[in-house]
Amino acid sequence: MDLIVAFLTGLTTGGLGCLAVQGGLLTSTLAHQIEQDVQAYAGTGSTQKFKPHIAQPILFFLLAKLIAYTILGYLLGAVGSVLQLTPLMRAILYFAIGIFMIGNGLRMFNVHPFFRHFVIEPPSALTRYIRRKSKNGASFFTPILLGTLTIFLPCGVTQAMMATALGTGSPIQGATLMFSFILGTSPLFFSVAYFATRLGSAIEKYFTRIVAATMLIMGLIQVDTGLNLAGAPFSFSRAISILQAYALPAQTGSSIEVTENGYFPQVLHLPANQGVTIEWVTRDTKSCARSVVVPGLDYQKILPTTGRTQFEIPPQEKGAIIRYTCSMGMYPSQFVFDLEPANQ
Amino acid sequence: MKKLFNVPDMTCPNCAMHLEGLEDEMPGVKSISASYKKLTMEVEFDETKLTVEQIIQAANEIGYHPEPVSA
Repeated sequence: MDLIVAFLTGLTTGGLGCLAVQGGLLTSTLAHQIEQDVQAYAGTGSTQKFKPHIAQPILFFLLAKLIAYTILGYLLGAVGSVLQLTPLMRAILYFAIGIFMIGNGLRMFNVHPFFRHFVIEPPSALTRYIRRKSKNGASFFTPILLGTLTIFLPCGVTQAMMATALGTGSPIQGATLMFSFILGTSPLFFSVAYFATRLGSAIEKYFTRIVAATMLIMGLIQVDTGLNLAGAPFSFSRAISILQAYALPAQTGSSIEVTENGYFPQVLHLPANQGVTIEWVTRDTKSCARSVVVPGLDYQKILPTTGRTQFEIPPQEKGAIIRYTCSMGMYPSQFVFDLEPANQ
Repeated sequence: MKKLFNVPDMTCPNCAMHLEGLEDEMPGVKSISASYKKLTMEVEFDETKLTVEQIIQAANEIGYHPEPVSA
């Protein structure tokens, strides 16, 4: 793939998709910096307007991400699919990050001393080294660590790009491809994170609390994503989408429309006790719905932008439910096997 | 010698790093290791050059109130 195309993909769909999936890590980065700034501001007794120094941590976060993905592109080009995480591994990762964020949100609200354990404390030797290297050194560590961690949370478009890097079969091509793509995602990431947080400076008194509340909400979303990816029968978004679907007449058939807004019908009723073939139908679909995951059947596939892809489901007992979602844990949907088998 | 202090007024991880920064400013201090999780600070210092009271005073000046833990 042309490097300019990779850059433009990042600049447009990649930026938006990745912001949705990696926003949690970026929020953690900003939370750390804002906490420091609020504390420093309170100590000065200054009458000047409070302005958090967020440009630097966002840049470190993005730079660390750029470097990490370039290295990942290099490795993908070199060693192939060995590094790909399974949906269950990603689910566990999302879940852990969600719990980490909820814990930090509760810590910032001073709910209980226990939540201090959710802090990542870098070793003293490392902070000493960084401190002596730079006056503002202490603020380097968290954004760099979290920026690097984004390689474990690729959004759908990023996964497609990683698959392309894999296909190049060349470490240098894989690295330059990922570099171009992630560079493309950076302006949108920076703008949204920077300006959204700047708006908050007008209400500095409540800033730490706003960040803590954001951490809690993002944490809950990450946990929800983890539950969806693991195929868990309960999650907030699954409950909402399934309730919506059950408000409509029961849908039958053998194809699923894969759209920008998810899978339709969200609940498809199928015959029990016989193998069925489903068709995923994409029509110029660019959202993460293209990257479909069926955890219970250990199935994951990146569908073509436009086309029909067959999916064989082995016979299921009557009443069985098979859940699926996109690889970002969004658009939870399900097949329900409650129809009588068709005459053979 | 090494001396452990409880620092109840640490409110975030940056406080620990802030306290550790004292080691660059106080002659006689070999190292400071502070923990926000435990709300403690361990100071290794040369007792011929520095007293526990001076360490507490320096921490007070940057807004913290360490309490020595009796051995």
